[in-house]
Amino acid sequence: MDQAGRPEKILIIDDEQSILDGCRQALEKLGHEVLTAADGEEGLRLARTERPALAFVDLKMPRLSGMEVIDILAKDIPDLIIIVITGYASIMSAVESLKKGAYDYMPKPFAPDQLRAVARRALDHRNLLIEARRLKQERKEIERNFITFVTHEMRSPLAAIQQNFEALTMVLGDSLTDEASEIIERCRRRIQNLEDLIEHWLDIRRIENGTFVKEREELLLDEVIQRAVEEMSQLCHNRDLTLETNLAENLPAVMGDRESLVRVFINIIGNATKYTPAGGAITISTDYNDSYVKAMVSDTGKGIPRGKIPFLFVPFYRADGNDNQERTRGSGLGLTFCKRIMDAHDGKITVESKEGSGTTFTLHFPRSTPREGE
Amino acid sequence: MTSEPKKKILLIDDDIDFLKATKLILEKGGYQVVTAEDGKSGVDAVESENPDLAVVDMMMETWGEGFSVVSKIRKLSGGKTLPLIVLSSVDLQGPYQSFEPSEEFPKVNMVLQKPLKAEDLLRYVQELTN
Repeated sequence: MDQAGRPEKILIIDDEQSILDGCRQALEKLGHEVLTAADGEEGLRLARTERPALAFVDLKMPRLSGMEVIDILAKDIPDLIIIVITGYASIMSAVESLKKGAYDYMPKPFAPDQLRAVARRALDHRNLLIEARRLKQERKEIERNFITFVTHEMRSPLAAIQQNFEALTMVLGDSLTDEASEIIERCRRRIQNLEDLIEHWLDIRRIENGTFVKEREELLLDEVIQRAVEEMSQLCHNRDLTLETNLAENLPAVMGDRESLVRVFINIIGNATKYTPAGGAITISTDYNDSYVKAMVSDTGKGIPRGKIPFLFVPFYRADGNDNQERTRGSGLGLTFCKRIMDAHDGKITVESKEGSGTTFTLHFPRSTPREGE
Repeated sequence: MTSEPKKKILLIDDDIDFLKATKLILEKGGYQVVTAEDGKSGVDAVESENPDLAVVDMMMETWGEGFSVVSKIRKLSGGKTLPLIVLSSVDLQGPYQSFEPSEEFPKVNMVLQKPLKAEDLLRYVQELTN
C-alpha cells in the first residue's frame, strides 16, 4: 500500500512463466496490482507506461539482459524500487546490480512469504524515500521564506531609522552642533554595523541552502582581484594604507562564482585595513603550480596571536576580544563567510601571521582543468 | 518671488516612518511631495495628482507588489513616460534575486537601495525631473 493506503503497482520481469504466475498470486494476496512481462523490452515498456512502485527483475533473460534492464530502469523511472531475482550461481552479478541501483535481491527459488516480506520492505523503503524528499523540499521552502522574512522584517526598520537620520540632519541643517552631529554619526554607525551583520548572516544562509555560488564559470582571478581593489582603494586611501598587487603572469583560470569571490577579496582586504596601522601596506599576490592556483592578501598590521588563529573562522569570534575599537568592529561573520565560499569552491582559506609584523590570508583554488600535453 | 513652480514628487511606500523621512528630505530639497501608503492609492494618485516623478517601494506588503504597482502606473495615460524610481531594501544587483522581472516588464528609470543618502536622492530626483 502507498501512504494513503492505496494498492501499489508491482512489475515482475522474468522469462519463466511459472515465476510470473507465482509472484502474481503471492502479491495479489496483499492487494497489489501485479503487472508481468516475459522479457526486458516488454518490462521497460510497462515500467514507462504504468509507473509501478516496485519492479522484480530476473537477471538471466534472453535478448535484453536483466542488468541492462536495471540500468535503464534505475536511470529512467523516478522512485522505482528495483529488486533482483537471481539464481544461486549469480551472486556476483547480484552485487553488481545493487551497484547499478537495485535495492535488494532474492535468490531463486523463493517462497511466497519471502517474496511478500521483501515487497513490503521495499515499499516501506520507497515511502520513506518519498517522505524524506518531501520533508527536504519543505524545509528548503521554509528556509527560503525565512530568508525573505528576515530580509524584509529586519532590514526595513533599519532603513527607516537611517532615512530618518538623513532627514534629521537635513532638517537641522546649519543649526546642528558638532556634538549633535557626532551623536547622530555614532547612531548611524551602529545601525550600519547591524545592517552588515544581517547581510553577512544572510549570505551564510544562502551559501548553506545553495542560492549562492550557483554561477560557476571559468574566470581569471586577476579580474576578480582588480574589481575588489577598485572597490577598496578609496577606503585604503582614507586610512593612509597602500594597496598594491603583485600578480603572477599567465595565472591559470579557476572555476568560480565571480560575485562571491569579489566579496571574499573585499572582506579580507577590509579586515586588513582594520588591523593595519596608517602608513602600512596591503599586498595581493598570486601564484600557481600544477595542482592549485592561490591568491595571497598580506598586510603589515599588528598580526594575530598564534593561539587565536584556529578560531578565526568560527562565527562571531573576534581576535581582539572585547578590546572593541570603533574601527575594528565588524559583524564577526566576515571570515566565516569567506571560508564557506571557499569551501563551496572546493578550495580553502588559510592564514599565517606574525605578531607585530603582519598577516597573510591565502586562498587556495583547485586547478580547473587538468594539465595538457603531459 | 518669481521662482518656478515646485516639481511634484509622489512617494509610494507602506513603511510610514520611511515615507515621512523621505518626504522631509525632498521638501527640504525644494519639492512638493504627495504620499501614498499603499499600492492602490499610489496608482490613483498618479492620475489625480499628476506628479513629475514617482518613487515606488518594491517591497510593499507582499514581495512583488511594487512590480505590479509599476505595471499599473505604466498602463495609465499619465504614467507612460512618468520618471519612476524603484526602491528596494535588498541589493538587486546582488546574487540573491527572488524574482526576475519578465522581458515585457515596464521600464523604470532607476533602481535604488534603501536607505538613501539625502544628497544622492536629491541629485537623482533632479536629474530625472529636468
